Amino acid sequence: MDIKIETIMMELVVNGGNARSCAMQAIAAAREGKPDLARQLMKEADESIEKAHEYQTGILQAEASGEHLDMSLIMVHAQDHLMNAMTVRDLAKEFIKLYQTERSAAVIE
Amino acid sequence: MIHITLICAAGMSTSMLTQRMQKAAESKNLEVEIIAMPESKFRKYKGETEVLLLGPQVRYLFEEIKAEFQPKGMKVAVIDMRDYGMMNGEKVLEDACKLLG
Repeated sequence: MDIKIETIMMELVVNGGNARSCAMQAIAAAREGKPDLARQLMKEADESIEKAHEYQTGILQAEASGEHLDMSLIMVHAQDHLMNAMTVRDLAKEFIKLYQTERSAAVIE
Repeated sequence: MIHITLICAAGMSTSMLTQRMQKAAESKNLEVEIIAMPESKFRKYKGETEVLLLGPQVRYLFEEIKAEFQPKGMKVAVIDMRDYGMMNGEKVLEDACKLLG
């Protein structure tokens, strides 16, 4: 079980981390006037979060069915990564919209 | 002696990877020193680094970090997501050594 838990934690860290990176890069793409790239990066961010979610659901279900999971710092850390990724993803969506509005306003002027 | 520094958001998951890499290095009799730290701390770090590796969670900082540290003679790269997730220390070490040619 130890190895399995570590693998799940790393999947949360790596997929959460990847989603965060994609979302940050998507904001930069929107700022540089590349909306297609921004959209593509946000799609990857969503997919990564979904993947991390699947692993998280797995351990949640295991715990709900009575399997005892030892709490460890890496587990908390992995959870932090996922939550952080979700926040950055949500904000990135707003930033991208903001840059798009700004650009279309500039065109009208 | 090759100095490899791994950086990520908190330096936590990378420090797990350094242990795996160090073990792989020992079994290959390679003289390497591998350390991990948060990205923010590295900017003030004065020690030697020949290879600087970024965790996937700070990949978005790659261009910025490369522009800052490559001129100082460091090889900068992002760790492969799969290898990071699997904690494949051997492969990450191998890729790092390849960067040095």
